Amino acid sequence: MLEQLLIFTRGGLILWTCKEIGNALKGSPIDTLIRSCLLEERSGAVSFNYDAPGAAYTLKWTFHNDLGLVFVAVYQRILHLLYVDDLLSMVKQSFSEVYDPKRMAYDDFDETFRQLRMEAEARAEELRKIKQLGKPVTGSVKKQGQVLKAGLEGGNKRVGEGGSKKDDGDGIKGKVSNLTNGHHSNENHKLGDDSQEGDLANGKENTSSNVAVDLSKLQKLRSKGVRGRGGVRKADSIGNKSSKVAAAEPAKKATKKNRVWDDAAPKQSKLDFTDSVDENGNNDHVEVVAADQGESMMDKEEVFSSDSESDDDDDDEPGSDEKPAEAKKKGWFSSVFQSITGKANLEKTDLGPALKALKERLMTKNVAEEIAEKLCESVEASLEGKKLSSFTRISSTVQAAMEDALVRILTPRRSIDILRDVHASKEQRKPYVVVFVGVNGVGKSTNLAKVAYWLQQHKVSVMMAACDTFRSGAVEQLRTHARRLQIPIFEKGYEKDPAVVAKEAIQEATRNGSDVVLVDTAGRMQDNEPLMRALSKLINLNQPDLVLFVGEALVGNDAVDQLSKFNQKLSDLSTSGNPRLIDGILLTKFDTIDDKVGAALSMVYISGSPVMFVGCGQSYTDLKKLNVKAIVKTLLK
Amino acid sequence: MDNWEDMKIVAEQWSKQGIEFVQQIPSPQLYAAIALLLLATIWLFSIRLFRRTKSNTVLLSGLSGSGKTMLFYRLRDGSSHQGAVTSMEPNEGTFVLHYENIKKGKVKPVHLVDVPGHSRLRSKLEEYLPRAAAIVFVVDALEFLPNIRAVSEYLYDILTNASVVKNKTPVLLCCNKTDKITAHTKEFIRKQMEKEIEKLRCSRSAVSTADITNDFTLGIEGEVFNFSHCHNKVTVAEASGLTGEIDQVQDFIREHVKP
Repeated sequence: MLEQLLIFTRGGLILWTCKEIGNALKGSPIDTLIRSCLLEERSGAVSFNYDAPGAAYTLKWTFHNDLGLVFVAVYQRILHLLYVDDLLSMVKQSFSEVYDPKRMAYDDFDETFRQLRMEAEARAEELRKIKQLGKPVTGSVKKQGQVLKAGLEGGNKRVGEGGSKKDDGDGIKGKVSNLTNGHHSNENHKLGDDSQEGDLANGKENTSSNVAVDLSKLQKLRSKGVRGRGGVRKADSIGNKSSKVAAAEPAKKATKKNRVWDDAAPKQSKLDFTDSVDENGNNDHVEVVAADQGESMMDKEEVFSSDSESDDDDDDEPGSDEKPAEAKKKGWFSSVFQSITGKANLEKTDLGPALKALKERLMTKNVAEEIAEKLCESVEASLEGKKLSSFTRISSTVQAAMEDALVRILTPRRSIDILRDVHASKEQRKPYVVVFVGVNGVGKSTNLAKVAYWLQQHKVSVMMAACDTFRSGAVEQLRTHARRLQIPIFEKGYEKDPAVVAKEAIQEATRNGSDVVLVDTAGRMQDNEPLMRALSKLINLNQPDLVLFVGEALVGNDAVDQLSKFNQKLSDLSTSGNPRLIDGILLTKFDTIDDKVGAALSMVYISGSPVMFVGCGQSYTDLKKLNVKAIVKTLLK
Repeated sequence: MDNWEDMKIVAEQWSKQGIEFVQQIPSPQLYAAIALLLLATIWLFSIRLFRRTKSNTVLLSGLSGSGKTMLFYRLRDGSSHQGAVTSMEPNEGTFVLHYENIKKGKVKPVHLVDVPGHSRLRSKLEEYLPRAAAIVFVVDALEFLPNIRAVSEYLYDILTNASVVKNKTPVLLCCNKTDKITAHTKEFIRKQMEKEIEKLRCSRSAVSTADITNDFTLGIEGEVFNFSHCHNKVTVAEASGLTGEIDQVQDFIREHVKP
């Protein structure tokens, strides 16, 4: 059951909550939804999971962008309620009729909501029942149609669709067999009647000859129960000399749609449906027959149940091709017109081309494909249904919204003032520990030296810890940097456990009063299980203040994979209840990319952590902060 | 080329005609017309200048969850309706404060803006700061200490903003949720904020050459920071959005948006 349904404005005022379901929500799921999903530009996602002590909720939402309203439904995660989306859209529709910006209380909406909810629940119940019954019913119906059609076309390979559906159907065998019996008998009746009735669509009349042939086979293979359908099909295929075909296509999956050969609407099964329902009364005398012949056809089922549905995809495609073309024609003129009058409500089709172009542009700037997609979905969700203001084109509205979204993502969620944190740690008399992690060759050691240099400039005493005990020359590299910068370095050579080295380094720093400890680790691929485990051990053992992920700006789609896997491994392998994840990103080699700055966006979006530094060169001074506005401008240029 | 020549000739003819026409007007009238035009433009400019100093915009800012939206609706309607969630967009309105509805006489409406406090939406604040006549900075007196760093950074950013310093915008530090027992007092909050801002002053002024995050620095060199060091007036008050005790806030607003 629904836990709660809320309607609130984008400005934050709650307009209506469902008072019937009086449960108070545990924790604050709505606020968390807004903060971690809607404001993070993930509003294109389907649902949001929220866990609080004592409750696990799933939240679904929808926007009314024109009026600036948000509709959120909360329910327990273990109940998979099917009617929530439906209910949300109905509520949206009826509330927008009632909505008035001056009104703050909508108590009369309770009644409307109750009705809508009952409607939605009833509909969902129906759908569920239909699904359970519908598979056998539609299956057999289709079979009937298929038999007849086969006669028509000759060589129709549309076999076993219903049968295959049966295969995947829920095992309500008893009920099914009843129905199939009914259908079979129905079929026999029809066929026996020499197709004079012609109730079924698509010219049964023509198939009399074929039917006669098949009839004998049908008698034998009638009403198998679950597998029964196949029998008729088989008869069909034999009759149509398509046995070879049947044998040749054993491996096709069973979930394809019906092939439609002529221009008849694919609704013929719908029409058949009514017939079979009528004939349910004739179950009795065929039931006995159904029982014993069920098993033998099972394996045969396999053979050709595959078959079928090669498709109807053919039909779909020509249809869909026309639509975009004509939508385009209408698009140009109406967009010009609408840009002047500015009255149109933005629809998905209007936004489609503009968003697609924007996505392409983002991808040419080296933004990961998945991220660009999600961003576009989120912008679409926030613009759909909004009114175009006058004298603006759709593309400029979309651009403005995307720019807004990008600024929002790149703006850090928390303060990235490291110096402040260092001072805070200093007061507590313990060193501020920073761990640099990342894959191989991104520039951890180089940028570690740059950060040390910067900290030194701000009168902070730094110590380096050489925990890269694997790569040859790593310790020497750090030693050289330390010598140049005149800062102490803690090293234990090679082939030592990095976690232990780090621990000792921190103890040493506490002893000699260093403010910051910079820990260098070995580069590792995100898929490498033992190495990730070692990293997790290092972090768990030492509990650093900042886990800095070093990523290069040249990375493309792999950024998403790297960051998500790192975070996942860190959280999975963590021993304490509060796993330490990546706290910040250091973007390196920024000078090598001209304007393909998309990696910054991908990394920030996927991890949610801010970019703290940007490395833009190979000397000590080449370290700067991320300039959000400049990046956004470059991305959308 | 021929077209150009023709057009030039035509233009010259027209200009000659125009000059003749103007010269035909008796000179006093001409001078009078020009003088009038000049006066009109000067008048328009001065109006615009004067109007700028009398803005009636009051900003409600503060961290996310401090109670700005509730306060906004209290000020406007006298009740906070059914509660609020994290705002995604600013709430704006120009209205007469609710408690003044009963007063007779001409009362100037206030343009109240509630800016979302979420850090991702921080940029919205900068749009409104230049036009603000007064700022109400709402602090959650209940959850003060856990968030003290974020609160003080936000306040520091506002106090060092270029427009705020230039216009000497008065700031009211409003401690919200004081109806709860465990809420801190305004004196405590003020002292803590001063301490935190002092720390911020030291770390922020050590700025790298690459960029400058804050336009100005606060306070006087060498002395511990105190709110009286700010050029703009900073006062502290208490309020409770939930129960409706917002008198101090209302007085502050009225004080700075003269009717």
